[in-house]
Amino acid sequence: METTKEREQNQAGLSSAEREGVRQSQTTNENIRQLLEMLDNPDAYTEQQIQDIINRDEDTRETYRLMVEAKRSSRHRQNQKPVDVDAAWQSFNQKLQPKQQGFGWMKIAASFIGVLLVSGIAFAAMHLVRLYQKQETPQTEITENVTTPVTTLPADTLTKDTVTVQPIIYDNIQLEKMLPEIAAHYDVKVIFTNDEARQLRFRFVWNPQQGIDQVISDLNQFERLTVIRKDNQITVE
Amino acid sequence: MLEQRILEQLFRRNYSEMIYLASVLLGDDKEAEDVVQDIFLRVADSDIPPKNDNYLLTAVRNACLNRIRQMQVHDKVKGLMPIDDEADQQPIDKRLERLDDIAAYVDGQLEEPHRSIFHLRFDEDLTVSKIARRLGLNPNTVYKYLMQSIQQIRHHFEKQ
Repeated sequence: METTKEREQNQAGLSSAEREGVRQSQTTNENIRQLLEMLDNPDAYTEQQIQDIINRDEDTRETYRLMVEAKRSSRHRQNQKPVDVDAAWQSFNQKLQPKQQGFGWMKIAASFIGVLLVSGIAFAAMHLVRLYQKQETPQTEITENVTTPVTTLPADTLTKDTVTVQPIIYDNIQLEKMLPEIAAHYDVKVIFTNDEARQLRFRFVWNPQQGIDQVISDLNQFERLTVIRKDNQITVE
Repeated sequence: MLEQRILEQLFRRNYSEMIYLASVLLGDDKEAEDVVQDIFLRVADSDIPPKNDNYLLTAVRNACLNRIRQMQVHDKVKGLMPIDDEADQQPIDKRLERLDDIAAYVDGQLEEPHRSIFHLRFDEDLTVSKIARRLGLNPNTVYKYLMQSIQQIRHHFEKQ
């Protein structure tokens, strides 16, 4: 059935192609009007309805894209005031400083951990080298060590065993300070024949419950250090 | 971390352009500042400076598009942001040129009251009913003029 509008168009002498053009134009205008109405009050629409209106057809989608550009163009035109770069740099620098300080502390912490790790590795390496050397020493020498009279030890060890004495840790302490303290416990003297050895520093755990010979044996695990006991005297070579 | 002196030079040389692009794309000065500062914080963390200054502008564009992508649909349409992913890899200077062209066309080719209606809608974000009240026009007339302006601009730039 012919609508009033179509009748008017027929009477105006429009061809069917022209009438189709008019009809399409009316639909496009209606879609764009719906788009403009939605943009005036988006909260009245659901997300889906908004998507449907914008993507109704290619014309509406293109119209929305042009409106996005029109808005950007407006900002572009209005946004010509000069920027205060000095103030911006100050503001950015304030944001940056705590980060850099934090990073600095992290670096210090990392270096400290690094030093500890290296010390630990070095200490382990010294132990391994000495142990390896010890294994390679001739059997006769071992027997010499083993023959150290056990009876000389109990005087110290047995008396200390009855009281629980905690090990003492010398951490990065000079040998010339550490060794006399230990020696005093066993009532022996210390003589340094090598002055360089006086300044040696390392981490040493001394268990006062151990006998003096065990302590000397532990000290000898360190490279660059040779400790010899003769009677009541310890010599560091 | 990048040396402070180099970072400051980069910042002073590029900040204006970067903040400008971010403001145009996001339409919010605070957000634009966040985007640009974030980019410089990343640059500060790296050991080597960016290859060239264009890298910084591209970083701004990508960061802005990411922010827009994460926005809710309602917020996007309120700010007239692209609703779909913008896959436009057109160089940034070309895009800014096109924005200049649109502004020039609106001011030079639209006639009154079309031009005023267009400015009230896109510069001042007024709704059609408010524009109608301000200009003493019927809202339907404002819709008509606004639609005619949009179609005219579209057709002009489609031909190019």
